[in-house]
Amino acid sequence: MGVNVELTYEMGKLLGEHHFELQDVHSVAEVLDAVRARFGDRGERLTELSRHAAVAVNGVLVNYKKGKRTRLQDGDRVSFVKASAGG
Amino acid sequence: MIKGYAGRILEVNLSRRSFEYKPLDEETARLYIGGKGYGTRLLYDRTEAGIDALGPDNPLIFATGPLNGSAAPQTNRFAVVCKSPLTGGIGNAACGGSFAYGLKKAGVDLVIVMGVSEKPVRLLIDGDRDAVEFIDASELWGKGTYETQEILGKKKYHAVIGPAGENQVLYAGIVSNERIAGRTGVGAVMGSKRLKAVTAQGSRKLDMEDPEKFKEYTREVRRIFREHPVLGDSLKRFGTAGIVNTTNARNIIPTRNFQRGSHPEAYKLSGEYMEDHELKGIKSSCIHCPVTCGRDVEVEGKGRVKGPEYETVALLGTNLDVTDLKRVSEWNYQADDLGMDTISLGATLGFAMELQEKGLANFGLHFGDVKGIGQAIEDIGHRRGDGNELADGTRKLAQKYGGMDFAPHVKGLELSAYDPRGSFAQGVEYATTNRGGCHVQGASMYMESVGPLTINPQNLRLKADLPVLQQNLACAINSMVLCYFTTYGMVPKAVHDMPADSFARKAISTAMEFSGPMMGLAMRRKGNAMIWYEKWLRYITGAPMSSGHLQEIGERIFNLERMYNLREGLSASDDTLPRRILEESTFDHMESGHPLHLLLPKYYKKRGWDAQGVPKPETLQRLGVRV
Repeated sequence: MGVNVELTYEMGKLLGEHHFELQDVHSVAEVLDAVRARFGDRGERLTELSRHAAVAVNGVLVNYKKGKRTRLQDGDRVSFVKASAGG
Repeated sequence: MIKGYAGRILEVNLSRRSFEYKPLDEETARLYIGGKGYGTRLLYDRTEAGIDALGPDNPLIFATGPLNGSAAPQTNRFAVVCKSPLTGGIGNAACGGSFAYGLKKAGVDLVIVMGVSEKPVRLLIDGDRDAVEFIDASELWGKGTYETQEILGKKKYHAVIGPAGENQVLYAGIVSNERIAGRTGVGAVMGSKRLKAVTAQGSRKLDMEDPEKFKEYTREVRRIFREHPVLGDSLKRFGTAGIVNTTNARNIIPTRNFQRGSHPEAYKLSGEYMEDHELKGIKSSCIHCPVTCGRDVEVEGKGRVKGPEYETVALLGTNLDVTDLKRVSEWNYQADDLGMDTISLGATLGFAMELQEKGLANFGLHFGDVKGIGQAIEDIGHRRGDGNELADGTRKLAQKYGGMDFAPHVKGLELSAYDPRGSFAQGVEYATTNRGGCHVQGASMYMESVGPLTINPQNLRLKADLPVLQQNLACAINSMVLCYFTTYGMVPKAVHDMPADSFARKAISTAMEFSGPMMGLAMRRKGNAMIWYEKWLRYITGAPMSSGHLQEIGERIFNLERMYNLREGLSASDDTLPRRILEESTFDHMESGHPLHLLLPKYYKKRGWDAQGVPKPETLQRLGVRV
């Protein structure tokens, strides 16, 4: 089962890729672990960058679902998202 | 005369080549402030129902507010008010640049332009001589807005139109420096009068009730803005396109004519990407503004020009299934030079592409294909070939070719770049805002889907209350003619500093969501001046001012606009959203689209309107709206 992961711009820049697919993940918690593993020894910087990033599944913040325990389906889009301002 | 105002309105008649200064009415200024508030009052009083929006009887009103010309940040903007040729209802738009400053220096609060010139003309308002010159503009006619301003003098204060306005493209705008009063076709009205440009100059100074307190407080506000994470940092670094990754992640960036809310490559159109790549440029700003949210980019053949804003990268980008930032920047330059609203332009092109895809029309435009778009923009600006039809916007295109279900407009004004299926209060705003599908006359999506403190955007809580309060506040701010970005400063730095999953942030957001009636009470309370809008007005005009006063003034203006629209034949049936938005889901947990039918009756009730969306007599009386 695969999900699409989208990082914030700064996270993507650090990792060298802005979005990628993950296999065999069934919850948001597992995605977070997998992303951390992908960053490897840049984990401290990842912690810094993700401090202000919420997580959304298919556009909906996981706060409005079951938080990190939110279950995922095949093809879901998991996004790290920062608050911002525009016009 | 009330302080903060020049005390006079300039009336110009292009048919008779005459002008006259008339006194500003103080009572109207107290009730409506200035900007679009005062402008709407004049429009309502000076016109009969049913006038031709592109005819001589449609007044083109340029309006300032009492803060324009002061040292307060983000305060040098002007409003334009007229009957809209795009919607048939109230038309208004606001713009930064430098023209507002020029008008105040010339000692003019508002300019009303009536009639039609026989030949292309430009006006020079000289406040020191109390004179208005009517200058032949035949040699400027046909020139783009950049060249026009270059010829007229870069260090002077102008409002100009480009070929789009001259050719009465229904979404043509009025440009000052690199900013545009874009929406509702105000540029077409100016073009219909054969008025190419207005220049204002003089040496008048702004009179204030308490200049010392104003100066001291403004210093404090500048410090707050400088240290604010949005006004002092992210807007400066990334511009408004810094919001792309957020709206994309929240599934609300328009994609393929609002078929979807996200695009896998949207990050290539973001402000962060712009900062990192070859389009990195020097930041530009409106006169005296410290935020510098604009950014210059390099466009091949043109050199350094103003770069695209969020609305442009979304509606000319993901909405067309294009993520080539260079191309979008070129099209942005073209649209600015022609003098066109990029929101309506992008939405119209996206609609044309879906008509093409469905075999309903053949404009030679395809999603994801950059070929032909640049030429289409030129053709629209000059009303050539297919451009002539595309220049009329999505509603007229749908009336001819079909596809009304997915034509992205409300009341004829194309939707801006926040899909309301992911932001229910924003959807109510789109449906009810008097000028049509607009996001800056409320901007509830900031409290739902984008900002640091957000409520659940997809339940019904607060979704009728919030638009009312936001629209009222926006009306008041727009009538002072301040930059709406000043509202970002209302969310303190401490909130931005909280981690995204902190208990405190979640607790505040939850409290907000359940606070509907309390929020209304708090914002309508007439106490002391607490925040900059109220304090600035108090120090300049001397009038008592608070959040409650601003809500009342804003509500008054909103209801007057509503009465204007009703008089022009709009009705509750125009308070709607495209059928695609109402019925097609872009979220897997939703079976349908936006639940407007559940929220609109509540909204009407909160507004003090009847079930047909008509303001009740007691509401108009309470607000002092004379119709």
